[in-house]
Amino acid sequence: MKPPPFKYHDPRTVAETVELLARNENAKILAGGQSLMPMLNMRYVQPDHVIDINRVEGLSYIREAGGRLEIGAMTRQREIEYADLVARRAPIVREAILNVGHRQTRNRGTLGGSLSHLDPAAELPLVSAALEATVHVQGPKGKRDIAMAEFPAGYMSPSIELDEMVIGVTLPVWPDGHGYGFVEFSRRHGDFAIVAAAVLLDVEAGGKIKRASVTVGGVGPSPVRCRDAEKALTGEKGAEAAFRAAAETCRTIDAMEDVYAPAWYRQHLATVMTRRAMVAAFGRAANAR
Amino acid sequence: MTTIAFTLNGRATSVEVSPVRRLAHVLREDLGFTGTKVGCDAGDCGACTVFLDGAQVCACMVPAGQVAGRRIETVEGLAKDGKLTALQQAFHHFNAAQCGICTPGMLMAAADLFQRTARPSEDEVMDALGGVLCRCTGYRKIVDAVLHVAGRVPAAALDNTPDAGRAVGARFPKVDGLQKLDGREIFGADQAPADALWLRAVRSPHFSATFTVGACDALHRKYPGLVRVFTARDVPGNNGFGVYPQVKDQPVLADGDVRFRGEAVAALVGDRDTVMTIRDDEVPIHYTPRTALVGVDSALAEGAHRLHTDKPGNILAFGYVERGDADAALAAADVVVEGTFETAFVEHAYIEPEAGWARRVGDRVEVTVTTQTPYMDRDEVAQVLGIANEAVRIIPTACGGGFGGKLDISVQPLVALAAWHLDRPVRCVYHRIESMSSTTKRHPARMTARYGCTKDGALSGFTFFGDFNTGAYTSWGLTVKDRVPIHAMGPYHVPAVRAKTRAVFTNETPAGAFRGFGVPQAAITHEALMDEMAERIGMDPLEFRWKNAIRVGQPTASGQVLKASAGLAECLAALRPHWRKARAEAEAFNRTGDGVRRRGVGVGAIWYGCGATSAPNPSTMRMGVAADGTVTLYSGAQDIGQGTNTTMSQVAADGLGIAVDRLRLVWGDTDLTPDSGKTSASRQAYVSGGAAKRAGENLRAEILRLANAGQDAWLRFEPGAIVVEDRGRMQTIDLRRLEAGGPNGDVIMAEGYFDPPTEPLDEKGQGVPYATYGFAAQIAEVEVDVELGTVKVRRIVAAHDVGRSLNPTQVEGQIHGGVAQGLGLALMEEYIPGRTENLHDYLIPTFGDVPEIETILVEDPEPTGPYGAKGVGEHVLCATAPAIFGGIYQATGVRIRRAPATPDRVRAAILARKEQRP
Repeated sequence: MKPPPFKYHDPRTVAETVELLARNENAKILAGGQSLMPMLNMRYVQPDHVIDINRVEGLSYIREAGGRLEIGAMTRQREIEYADLVARRAPIVREAILNVGHRQTRNRGTLGGSLSHLDPAAELPLVSAALEATVHVQGPKGKRDIAMAEFPAGYMSPSIELDEMVIGVTLPVWPDGHGYGFVEFSRRHGDFAIVAAAVLLDVEAGGKIKRASVTVGGVGPSPVRCRDAEKALTGEKGAEAAFRAAAETCRTIDAMEDVYAPAWYRQHLATVMTRRAMVAAFGRAANAR
Repeated sequence: MTTIAFTLNGRATSVEVSPVRRLAHVLREDLGFTGTKVGCDAGDCGACTVFLDGAQVCACMVPAGQVAGRRIETVEGLAKDGKLTALQQAFHHFNAAQCGICTPGMLMAAADLFQRTARPSEDEVMDALGGVLCRCTGYRKIVDAVLHVAGRVPAAALDNTPDAGRAVGARFPKVDGLQKLDGREIFGADQAPADALWLRAVRSPHFSATFTVGACDALHRKYPGLVRVFTARDVPGNNGFGVYPQVKDQPVLADGDVRFRGEAVAALVGDRDTVMTIRDDEVPIHYTPRTALVGVDSALAEGAHRLHTDKPGNILAFGYVERGDADAALAAADVVVEGTFETAFVEHAYIEPEAGWARRVGDRVEVTVTTQTPYMDRDEVAQVLGIANEAVRIIPTACGGGFGGKLDISVQPLVALAAWHLDRPVRCVYHRIESMSSTTKRHPARMTARYGCTKDGALSGFTFFGDFNTGAYTSWGLTVKDRVPIHAMGPYHVPAVRAKTRAVFTNETPAGAFRGFGVPQAAITHEALMDEMAERIGMDPLEFRWKNAIRVGQPTASGQVLKASAGLAECLAALRPHWRKARAEAEAFNRTGDGVRRRGVGVGAIWYGCGATSAPNPSTMRMGVAADGTVTLYSGAQDIGQGTNTTMSQVAADGLGIAVDRLRLVWGDTDLTPDSGKTSASRQAYVSGGAAKRAGENLRAEILRLANAGQDAWLRFEPGAIVVEDRGRMQTIDLRRLEAGGPNGDVIMAEGYFDPPTEPLDEKGQGVPYATYGFAAQIAEVEVDVELGTVKVRRIVAAHDVGRSLNPTQVEGQIHGGVAQGLGLALMEEYIPGRTENLHDYLIPTFGDVPEIETILVEDPEPTGPYGAKGVGEHVLCATAPAIFGGIYQATGVRIRRAPATPDRVRAAILARKEQRP
């Protein structure tokens, strides 16, 4: 099939894009196109206006500022994959990226696109939640920041207005030597995750966990922060039993069910994936060694 | 419309298109670069992989507007000055391209890798190519070809120039291999006249409904580009098709009643934009849905509506084989095991969706189409149009994968019907969802069996009952219900057998032919029970099979005493050292491992009758010598990637006594080639090979007769002449003085014919259903993550009795591809109508899923086969799932009763077993 007819816009600036969004009803932003193009082809979405932001300037960057990483919305996933800065300062993002689709899709797919599409099983929203990212959006009234925890409004729905667009993300950086683990369960390499877990651990000298971040994707409609697990880990010294107990708290997350996996199995995966991510993270922490 | 300028393969290019038109379509339709293939239009298959500014992307997901000012490179740009790259050559030598439809995508992905690194590791190769799906090769030969270029794998074994008379058995590369590597090969969607109209079928969104079609005047007014809307009443001949001459129960266009979701109700014909733009719900079709009969239980339930008025109880037919008193034998057996096993719908998932075009030529119609069976297509189209068979010409394109799914017609009657009425060329290309929702599947089965043996390991009796869900129409349901009872007990000598099957209509996608015709489902059953019996009597599973393997001189359950070529025991013996080593390694791993990952090794043994079941199944091949000395083989045997064009050439060349690279091949076209039957039932190598050998021999005899020379004479083909050397006496036949004639205008010609000797089956299934059987045994080494329930196959060793290997490279290709499909059947593939209708939700194995495969070719010659050969195309798939399930058992103690063994099912089974244990 072919997409239903719509008008194509090719703006050059964010301001122009936002104005187009404000002016036109039922408009959709086209970023890397790795989800939207097939959705258009299959007519899962039928916009009247498609606004292609591939020529909008100033949206592709990876930089460090004020002890944080800043990544532009139109930064391709492959650029994040190959960025030394990301590997050094937020290595979990690189781990996550390696699970995103295949080479073909990473060469086109963008950070902003993935966040805006907000697939429940997508890797980039998951690590953004784990790192407590701030999402920067811009609309006719100007810019505003949304904490990643507040960003999902529901299943595949970001909490941004129809005339707003994601322009970038700021990722807090964890201390050097922190532990990180990203573990994904998918049926085949490159598929969307069924369940994935992202764990960050700040381990102090002597091996005690000072701070933990535990997040699972694919279980609920958007990434779920596992505060009980984080609490259980804090102060622990990385014993297998402690990880097991902390991970077990994930079994009660409200889980989705579909052709890929029943709810009980997703909950089970949440416990196994978080535990494995904890083990991986702890193993990588400098002070654990 | 916008003018978009970019660089294509180094040349400045400009095209006037909508900026949101997909790059794949711009390349193919607007610029004629059809080397880039479209398999899914959704980024799932990678067939359309091209370079955008030097990096691989899916061209189906890039809007044209984004390539303005950029560089695009396609498969057509790889070879420089007509010289293939090292990568392309390696693909050719390693047989890394079978059907060739995924090959452009694979080559581009691999070329992308070599831009980044000269000596990639195996992991890097898997990662770089991981976004491209292949359904033929099982990926391993592709990996080998790339690693060869990386300097990590030695050159492929190859025999490029076998001497006259020595082509059979040579590792001769594909005769049609090169055009699959540079974008030249023409598949179903690659070519049609520029003025061709497009056809798109409107399909039922309901599983079961009655419907009416209203007037389309308003639709025509709204869409001036719409030329005609065809419905059932426009079918001039019989509005029904089906693979059996006596059963034509599936309408070309449904007539007031739809029986499955995806059934064609109307056909829109017009310009491309128009027919692709019209929404189905704009066409005035008014459905009245009714209860859908999903699954055999609902179709068999009391009060269920009849799908077909002449089929009470929704039962298509029963199949039956009985020999001896199975109940008495089981009662007397020392050990009896039983179980019920279930399998799912399985989709062929060839990467090339159905496609073709038709034109009317006077009182004839020509259909150019991707197919497995040109002559069956011809007869089907003829009866749909109500014209003589000879008034239809089928011109097959290269076939981008079939596996049984392109035996039933798809676009053929639709484009033929439209071209016939409109007297204009009409083309149709199915999109992926349409292909998956409307074409046949593997039959889901529910099978209950009992198997018994003595305590010293002799099989005593077997009973079997299987329900096979044949979906909404008959398709190949009769073949499946007949083939299964004959094979249901497995490749063993069993004194007493009773096996019954029932094919049941449901409101689901028609189930038809898929590599194995029900035998893979039955193999899961008999092999699971073989494992259980072996365990109960304390015998090694492989030795138990070896002891009971059917041998020459023993009768089958159909009462057929095997006279020759029964190589199962030899296959099992060849596996024995691998088996013992792998079983011991798995046990050692489990003793010392972490308990989360556990390993196991299983074995599966199968047999498979070559050719149609107790039915005439002939092939004819023709050869000719032209006045200029060119020798041609006219082969109607359709190559669907397995290498038939190559093996037929080898066999015919040796029959005649000419070097194979001197032979010209004309294939497929029903006006130019004789009927070589369908590419199905593992019959081409055996049956058409038999005909090709005879064609070669008969042509040789004709030449010798003309020269009055003896049997041992040597032939030399020269321009315009044949030199015959008979015991030192040289004679020249001047071809230019001979009269040209016959269907191909040759001056000397001959045909070869072979029909395998079978005998009818009586009401108890006794007779000679097949002239010969192929045998196979495979072992699978698996690792189960017991926490997750995931199963990783680590290695397959496959031993196959092929009679005689006509071309070992092609045979290995079949084995690799069959193993990959068997793995999919075992672990991941489940087609659910309405839910898994694309290559995103329907999972087929990718690079990372297919393990190392070691192949062992056992050659126990078949006397009726060409040079001893018999078929191999389907055996390769049947043994894999049982071997994997056996491995899961050794690893976990869990017996798999339902395929696919998805992680959640395996995990649930592991939990259930824990609960049962004290």
